[in-house]
Amino acid sequence: MRLRTKLTLFNAISKLVIVVLFVLLVPVLIRNISSNYVDSKLIKQKNKLLQIVKSRGIETYIENGEGYGSYLPLKEEYISLEDVDPDYFSDTIKRGKRSFSEGDTLEYRILSHTFKVKNKNYLLEIGKSVDTLDETSVPLQNIAFQVLLGMILLTILADQFYSNYVLKPLRLIIKTKLVGQKFPNFNSYRKVRTTTTDFEYLDISIHKMVETIADKFQKEREFISNASHELMTPISILQSKIENMFEEEDINDELKVRLIEMQKILNRLKSITKTLLLISQIENEQFLKEDKVSVTDVLQDVYDEISIRLQEKDISYEMDVPQNWQFININKFLLFNLFFNLINNAIKYNNEGGYIKITATAGHNNFIISITDNGIGIPAEALPFIFNRFKKFRQSLQQDSFGLGLPIVKSIAAFHDIEVEVISEKDKGSTFKLIFPATLVMVT
Amino acid sequence: MNVLIIEDEKALAQELEIFLTNYNYICDVCFDGESASEKIAVNLYDFILIDLGLPDYDGLDLLREAKKLDSDAACIILTARTEINDRIKGLDLGADDYLPKPFSLLELQSRMQAIIRRKFGVKNNIVELDGFLIDLTNRTISYYNDVVSTITKKEFDLIAYLILHKNRTLTRMQLSEHIWGNVVNNDYDSNYIDAHIKNIRKKLNAFAPPEWLETVRGLGYKIKINA
Repeated sequence: MRLRTKLTLFNAISKLVIVVLFVLLVPVLIRNISSNYVDSKLIKQKNKLLQIVKSRGIETYIENGEGYGSYLPLKEEYISLEDVDPDYFSDTIKRGKRSFSEGDTLEYRILSHTFKVKNKNYLLEIGKSVDTLDETSVPLQNIAFQVLLGMILLTILADQFYSNYVLKPLRLIIKTKLVGQKFPNFNSYRKVRTTTTDFEYLDISIHKMVETIADKFQKEREFISNASHELMTPISILQSKIENMFEEEDINDELKVRLIEMQKILNRLKSITKTLLLISQIENEQFLKEDKVSVTDVLQDVYDEISIRLQEKDISYEMDVPQNWQFININKFLLFNLFFNLINNAIKYNNEGGYIKITATAGHNNFIISITDNGIGIPAEALPFIFNRFKKFRQSLQQDSFGLGLPIVKSIAAFHDIEVEVISEKDKGSTFKLIFPATLVMVT
Repeated sequence: MNVLIIEDEKALAQELEIFLTNYNYICDVCFDGESASEKIAVNLYDFILIDLGLPDYDGLDLLREAKKLDSDAACIILTARTEINDRIKGLDLGADDYLPKPFSLLELQSRMQAIIRRKFGVKNNIVELDGFLIDLTNRTISYYNDVVSTITKKEFDLIAYLILHKNRTLTRMQLSEHIWGNVVNNDYDSNYIDAHIKNIRKKLNAFAPPEWLETVRGLGYKIKINA
């Protein structure tokens, strides 16, 4: 999930939770607030009444020992005053039910207060109906919910807008510097404009790292290129010397055999150097991709070179590739070497009497050529490393190789934007799938 | 034939001289561009072997001079620089061949022979070996009137290379370098030469045993031609 989505989601959810909590609390809050309000009103009324009693005497309400009572027409409020037992004492505000002569029973918030006037104890009760109070809380709750929901939507929009704005540099950094960058060919550096120092730092750091990697990569390429070039001349001298010595008349056969040993070793050095040089030339893009050649022609050329090896190991070779497929925009020499190395491996890591099949399928917007063998396969743990230089996993074989065959394949494939997929199982065989983009193959 | 060897690596120049002298070429050797330029101006050569990486001279300039002053000389570029452009430029400037280092001396000799055949328009380049007629120009082998049609391109290349270096033992390395030279190979074993030779013998045996194709025990192969 993207950072912006996460932030917005978190904001929305947290706000929603807060609002729901608040809305749930509204009845309690309202009840509290209103009862406080009612209580203070009741106390005010009580004080007023006591004031009247004080100034005008209890007779204002009670004339002949009868209790006083009064209520509003709808009985939302009532007041009563009567004399009570001299020992009775009360000074509370609480809920209670009161019945009226008409038979109504209503719930009130009731203030009870006893006071003495002329040695007589009186009980004052002032009540306010609570129904009116409760009724208000539901619509209030609704309104609060609606208003808050509206506000939340607004803030979510604002959050979204702001996070969008503030995270834009990060998005740009990811989009232009990380996504779709083909190692090691990074785009040239363009500063991402931002006022957020963290992003600025990130941008510069990524840039510096990329630059370092590109630089190291370039240095490695140059080194390999220079080293292999420099090695060519001494190898050439040694080779010439050995060849000339071989023809000297006073050299006996025993020495000649040893010279051949030297020649073999030198050949190995030569092959390694030449291969490294080729890889570095491919990586430095020193080849043109302008050739046009039929797929079967390339494969036939490879077959001509390699048929002796198939014959030696009695390996059957089957090729099922459409005659009308043509490679375009490729380098013929390189593609030849790509197939040569793959098929050569399929022979080398095959068993006596095995088979090699070359098949072709046209995909949606690509063309796939697969090379399948039923040889010794590649153990799963070795698979991730088979394209690394100088890695040799199948040591047990008597054939010598120096672990550069698949690196050549990888370099050539990368140079042409050909994807290589490997499916392999130990002791069952391997399939190397070459996926050519539609731009490289033409069906005539 | 006169050959001018321009090579700043003295050890290599020396080996080239020894080798070519053995093949009856008359050699001049220069270690730098300056003296080479003088020699080109003064003498006539059949072959000029130019190393592109000279300390004081761009080999390509030397090639230009040579072509101007001595247009009959065949120029072969020898170089450790393998930039594709160098090759194209060299051939554009009129070089007759281009041999990247490291190369086999035998390969150089075979390229020189090819140039000679081209220059002098050798048409009848047929070698006779115990009844087998090997036509190096048309690349066919026949036994009296029968054409040996089963011989493959690679097999013929091997025979032709052995004939070119007749009476000389060629090692498996030298042979495989010649026939697989342009394959950038992951392995360095040259045992497949044996398989090729076996096939050649089998195919020729159908007509007559090719006793001229000799195996030199432990060393390689040789084609014997009595002059």
